[in-house]
Amino acid sequence: MAEYWTIALLGCLSIPYSICASVELSAVKPSVLDGNVSSLPYSQPNHSASSGHHSSEGLSLFVMDYSHVKAPFEIVMWIMLASLAKLGFHLYGRLPAVVPESCLLILVGLLVGGAMYKVWQQPPPVLSTDVFFLFLLPPIVLDAGYFLPIRIFFDNLGSILCYAVLGTFWNVFGIGVSLYGICQVQSFKLSDVSLLQTLLFGSLIAAVDPVAVLSVFEEIHVNEQLHILVFGESLLNDAVTVVLYKLFKAFCKMQVISLEDVLVGISQFFIVGFGGVAVGIFFGLITALTTRFTGKIQVIEPLFVFLYSYLSYLTSEVFHYSGIMAIIACAVTMKQYVEFNISQKSHITVKYFMKMCSSVSETLIFIFLGVSTVRDNHEWSWPFVCFTVFFCLLWRALGVLFLTAILNKLRINTVTFKDQFIIAYGGLRGAICFSLVFLLDDFPRKRLFITSTIVVILFTVFIQGMTIKPLVELLEVKRTGKPTNVSEEIHSRLLDHIVAGIEDISGHWGHHYWKDKFEYYNKKYLKRILVRQNKQSKSSIVHFYEKLEKKHAVESPDSVVLTDLPREQRQLETSPLQLQPGELDTIKSILSHSLHHIRRKNFLTNIYYLGDLSIFHKQAPAYSRHTLQPDVNSDEMKEIQFRRHSCQSRQDNQDNNKLNDTNQIYSGCTRQKQLTRSCTIGPEYKSDQLHPTEATHPADRSIHRGDHPPSWTTDNQQDKPSISFEK
Amino acid sequence: MGSRASTLLRDEEIEEIKKETGFSHSQITRLYSRFTSLDKGENGTLSREDFQRIPELAINPLGDRIINAFFSDGEDQVNFRAFMRTLAHFRPIEDNEKGKDPSSSEPLNSRNNKLLFAFRLYDLDKDDKISREELLQVLRMMVGVNISDEQLGSIADRTIQEADQDGDSAISFPEFVKVLEKVDVEQKMSIRFLH
Repeated sequence: MAEYWTIALLGCLSIPYSICASVELSAVKPSVLDGNVSSLPYSQPNHSASSGHHSSEGLSLFVMDYSHVKAPFEIVMWIMLASLAKLGFHLYGRLPAVVPESCLLILVGLLVGGAMYKVWQQPPPVLSTDVFFLFLLPPIVLDAGYFLPIRIFFDNLGSILCYAVLGTFWNVFGIGVSLYGICQVQSFKLSDVSLLQTLLFGSLIAAVDPVAVLSVFEEIHVNEQLHILVFGESLLNDAVTVVLYKLFKAFCKMQVISLEDVLVGISQFFIVGFGGVAVGIFFGLITALTTRFTGKIQVIEPLFVFLYSYLSYLTSEVFHYSGIMAIIACAVTMKQYVEFNISQKSHITVKYFMKMCSSVSETLIFIFLGVSTVRDNHEWSWPFVCFTVFFCLLWRALGVLFLTAILNKLRINTVTFKDQFIIAYGGLRGAICFSLVFLLDDFPRKRLFITSTIVVILFTVFIQGMTIKPLVELLEVKRTGKPTNVSEEIHSRLLDHIVAGIEDISGHWGHHYWKDKFEYYNKKYLKRILVRQNKQSKSSIVHFYEKLEKKHAVESPDSVVLTDLPREQRQLETSPLQLQPGELDTIKSILSHSLHHIRRKNFLTNIYYLGDLSIFHKQAPAYSRHTLQPDVNSDEMKEIQFRRHSCQSRQDNQDNNKLNDTNQIYSGCTRQKQLTRSCTIGPEYKSDQLHPTEATHPADRSIHRGDHPPSWTTDNQQDKPSISFEK
Repeated sequence: MGSRASTLLRDEEIEEIKKETGFSHSQITRLYSRFTSLDKGENGTLSREDFQRIPELAINPLGDRIINAFFSDGEDQVNFRAFMRTLAHFRPIEDNEKGKDPSSSEPLNSRNNKLLFAFRLYDLDKDDKISREELLQVLRMMVGVNISDEQLGSIADRTIQEADQDGDSAISFPEFVKVLEKVDVEQKMSIRFLH
């Protein structure tokens, strides 16, 4: 069944393409994808007209004016192709489980590229480097940075930096030098490739690609530590890649390379890295400051988030700093403050839009990779290509082994051999290498380099991407284990507090000493400036609680009893413990907001980010790109349903005891361990049957905001989970 | 400071502590110097005030309870042996220890003992059960003032419900262990004491 749908979709897709193709046959090769949207060098007389211009024969019924909308039309068609392809895969039930999406997308790209080649008799458009770096890459990195699990990232920062910096250096020089050695072998006929050229090639091929890693790793659900090691490395090695690439490229042009050039190169590395981070932090703080004042115009809040992060990327590119590090630093910085400032709806918008953009970007990148593979000027050299692939694998494995051996002496959570294998095996190359190789200056062997890059990318994405999941299962790598219940959460916190305390007693200063200092100054100064004043309270809890109330009101019948009926009675009536997802979320978010900051050292699998409003970290993988939490905000239908339901059940008997108890609550006796609904009816219940009880509870007033309908009265209290909201 | 430490700690003592706790020689010496630096009264034992002088412990919500864990019943001074015995719970479990024969007594840093340490932090009255009130107390300490009593109460109730299997509305130690079976306690409750 699904297959028929896919075929139908692809058939629909081919229609607009054939239209384009027929039009294009009479026009020029599409130029937008070469990064140059300038006007066509020539155009057919009957297409040169703008829509208002008529030919001399008079009016015509049917006008085709494609050139007018050519550029946007093609962009939209590509994006449409990407989205439909993605849609198609998910209709095929079993396929995404076996073959990672990236592979399928490249295949689609290959097909499309092949089709275009047949139709136009010339190579299809190639992924322009500018388009890639300026438009396709930033959304992905922004998404990654915004949803980065900060705690575990910083816990493992040392190791990540080690892998990213030292590992990449190792790989670059290893691959470069050994390839040069291969080229020296006379029988391979490669001796015109110089050392600098192989080093340059090494610098672009050695870097692990975040896009590829993300797309593959999110399907295999390894434990968070492993994930963050590989992923963090792929993000942070951008600085090294940028520096080395530019360095070797410049060296290739220079006649004489002196020592001071090398020193400049090394110092450039620090500047690029730290400069990028500084730019990112700067823009992050500005965003936070700006969102502080957007209380009146909440509609454009998401826009600020996106604009400033993109601006940080572009600014750092201006100075040739690492754009990726800038955008990550910006996202990480801005998240803590912006979360407090923007409204709930803006928050959701940001989340969804970011994921949408990054998803589309990623799809497009892979499709373009496929399309660009179809070219007619490949230069193939068996030894070079095979040895490139071989050396990539070899040096990565050696590097990981070597570095981990050193790191394990310094870490407490040792990286096991299985983890090391996955780290080495998961070093996928992707579109960044591809774009960089196109940016190379023209020299005789450039096409060889391009071909080998493509082969390496295809190899890693296909072979490694497809086999990594079975390998993970085979090796029984530790998977993500998140706490599924409140007990685990609470006890884990307790353990963390204990460990922090014992660390203090034993005089063990970890790097959390600085983290705590930072938190202290953050709270004292930065938050005062950057976060809206009235938002520093627990309004987030109010939101969550309200959402929970609405949700549970709708799903009332079989909820868990959480009231404090007398003990015996409760045990009789307690249904099997059903953890309502919304309720657990609420509890988790309450805990994550209110628990004190602790100094942890060994925060491994249970990830709750204190002080973060990360309601989507409940998901099993840290980055679940395609599955967002179902939005807890009920929609209109549920609201209506709830009202109807509450109208009906108001006819039910009210337990007298219950009413007395609630009366007691509202008489201000806070020591009561009653659990009742917050927006409950109070003594005014009987008189106020049809209107929201706005006046009952003082706390209710704080809930009522412009965009939230007031909560409705409740009904039968016995079988509702209730966490009352009372100060 | 270092020389003073080593003269006050005899080798036989170090050996005994090593056997009992599993710390290495250098770790014991280092921890001894930490002990003496905390010991302002210079009488070879630590009192509660000595612990409370540690600033970070003051802001740790469970600070007082952790301090209490060092002191055995009725005593108000901690000597070095007791100090090390408590810290030994947090020694990382080494791989070569995992295969030890089960007949020898359980090392102090076994998973069970680590969990027992945590359990005792809840269980103030030492009746081997975490009652609702004890849980509430700890929750209140951890959570601060932002949460109402009712909410906290419901969280406590949920916690007990999840763990309670024999229906006594309290968490016994085996139930506690069962709840945390999926949590990687060995890694969580380990501190890398520098070599």
